[in-house]
Amino acid sequence: MISLLQAPSDVPLRILGIQGGHGIRRRLLAMGFHKGDTIELDSMAIFRGPVLVRNLTSDTSVALGRGIAQRIIVEIIDEK
Amino acid sequence: MTKNNRYPDVVLIGQPNCGKSTLFNAVAGLKADTSNFPGTSIKHTHSKVNVEGSIVNIIDLPGTYSLNPSDPAEKVALSHLFHEKPDLIINVVDASILGRNLELTLELMELGSPMIIALNMIDLAKKKGVEIDIKKLEKLLGVPVIPTIATRGQGIKEMLEAALQTLGKSPSVTPIKWSRDVEQRVEKLANLLPEDFPPVYNKRFTAIHMIEANKLFFDKVLREINPKLKEDLDRVRRELEDMHNAPSYEVISAERHHLALKIFEESSRVFRGKRVKFQDRLDDVIMHPFFGYIILLAIFFGFFFIIFKIGNPLEELLLEPLTSLRNFLMLKLGENVFSYLIDGLLAGIGGGVAIVLPYFVPLILLMSFLEDVGYLARAGFLMDTFMHKIGLHGKSVSPFILGFGCNVPAIVSTRILESRRDRVITSLLIPFIPCSARTTIILALVAFYLGPIWAFGFYTFNILLIAILGRVISLFFRTPSPGLILEIPSLKMPSLKNMLKKTIFQMKSFIKFAWPILVAGSIVLGFLQYLHFDRIINIILSPLVEKGLGLPQELGVTLVFGFLRKELSLIMMLQALGVSYKDLMTVVTKEQLVVFTVFINFFIPCLSTVALLWKEMGKRIAFLSIGLNTGVAVILSLIVRLILGK
Repeated sequence: MISLLQAPSDVPLRILGIQGGHGIRRRLLAMGFHKGDTIELDSMAIFRGPVLVRNLTSDTSVALGRGIAQRIIVEIIDEK
Repeated sequence: MTKNNRYPDVVLIGQPNCGKSTLFNAVAGLKADTSNFPGTSIKHTHSKVNVEGSIVNIIDLPGTYSLNPSDPAEKVALSHLFHEKPDLIINVVDASILGRNLELTLELMELGSPMIIALNMIDLAKKKGVEIDIKKLEKLLGVPVIPTIATRGQGIKEMLEAALQTLGKSPSVTPIKWSRDVEQRVEKLANLLPEDFPPVYNKRFTAIHMIEANKLFFDKVLREINPKLKEDLDRVRRELEDMHNAPSYEVISAERHHLALKIFEESSRVFRGKRVKFQDRLDDVIMHPFFGYIILLAIFFGFFFIIFKIGNPLEELLLEPLTSLRNFLMLKLGENVFSYLIDGLLAGIGGGVAIVLPYFVPLILLMSFLEDVGYLARAGFLMDTFMHKIGLHGKSVSPFILGFGCNVPAIVSTRILESRRDRVITSLLIPFIPCSARTTIILALVAFYLGPIWAFGFYTFNILLIAILGRVISLFFRTPSPGLILEIPSLKMPSLKNMLKKTIFQMKSFIKFAWPILVAGSIVLGFLQYLHFDRIINIILSPLVEKGLGLPQELGVTLVFGFLRKELSLIMMLQALGVSYKDLMTVVTKEQLVVFTVFINFFIPCLSTVALLWKEMGKRIAFLSIGLNTGVAVILSLIVRLILGK
């Protein structure tokens, strides 16, 4: 169980939960980020910029500010 | 079929970036009559379309992810659905991300209203290796599905025919049931709704939205009006929460999510193609921590370089005959009221053709290219870090970039920002962005007379100023910005037809609204000059214009008119000084030119911008914006004068 910010990039991750207020949760839900989805960390911008996250379950990409990425709890999916 | 003898209302609704507006443009191309409410009343665009002899009123609503809105743009879509009760819903779905788009589809089906689905961008889906069995999808959903490619106008006719057919029958849509335990709770609450409780659409939908509702406010109201129902609602929510160990709204959202994915999997086959890899690689470069910024800068420079390279020769070419004509008429007619009016008329018409359009058209065309290709969101990702420094985040980047075209739609587009704080700061900063009108002035005066490097310097300074102002304004807000959540849509090959359509649309609105103001302004100035009334205004303003800014006294009146349209100041400047564009430098110095440009550029937002700010953000923000812009304009031009002056 790690936050999305600590996760390695280009590795499939499973969303375990989203912490934080209703506003952020609802927004992420509406954009197709749900518990149990498989996501991948694509890239990070420089100077503590946002992270680019690809949701493999719904095949969408979303840029998330660090404050928000930190609240997404994930686990690394063991492919074997 | 029609309500109160009106034409039936058909709404287009879909998630952001599903190609809804392109589809609307393609439909509106078949036309009867298209209208856009610019400025103060932009809510939605609608168009009356003649489909095989029947006229329907098609309405384009802002994109929304769900029916639980989290920004003002989404609220527009939702309130239209609730208040206007359209006769038919056309749900526009992005076939390339069908799974996610179906979540909104399922939510719309809960309304129970007649509905059809436009399965858009099937070409993009195919490229991504997604093959959709349309008959199967239709069967699973129980709603007609029509494949479309809006950018090429494919499937539009079929979609309208299906719409007409559905309108004729008005069949209700049966929502797809969820898993038993959740469905039972929703049913229970729906049955507990008292007889006199006004349901929205139907009882089940009402019950679902009560469970999902934004708790604080809604709950408080409900407790006041019906404590018993509030208790029932709380019990149902608690049961859902206990069963799934998540907030009740999340339980419901998860139901839709899983159902949508199931329908997607059952109706589609996914082959991973090579082309996707190419797109991914392109995106890796565009959003690269180093090359991304190089590209961003290159695009920005290229942008203005192209506009200048196209606009400048065109301007010279078009101005020649106009100037000769004006000189000729002046000689022929002599000095009387008639000649002043004719000269004003010519200055206004000619200014529009020769000075504004050569820069305006390429700017709008390039802007719609950036928008259609999907670059704005990527710029938002790249700029997020820097936007944090000025108290905002990456989502404000796209309104800012749109502001270079025109401030008015830029301010409307701040509706995509979730928090009011971000909207206020962004809306206050947008009037400082040089829109196409001001770009015209900067290019026509600074770049043309002093050289492109000066214009470049001007832009750099302008952007720096916006950063500083943003930093200062955000000091007045205690709450921090909520942070960035921004979808990055897949890159799309823009259709030239759609870009041209947008450009022509904007050009039309320039010709219809702005040009008459330019012409009228010039004629009025001609008349004032004949009466020598302009001198009175000039004398009143001379403490600022002459003493303060060191400009020729004659320019006072042009500044006043600049409030109507920024270009007007430029056109009237020539008229007021009584010189042709070519001879301008014989009557003003370089320093005066720079001071004038600085002042005009930052001075009071134009009339339409102020009107829109008033409407969107309230009187206070509108006045604040006027004060801020005027203050900054005066201070800056004084500083520039001190630096450049002797």
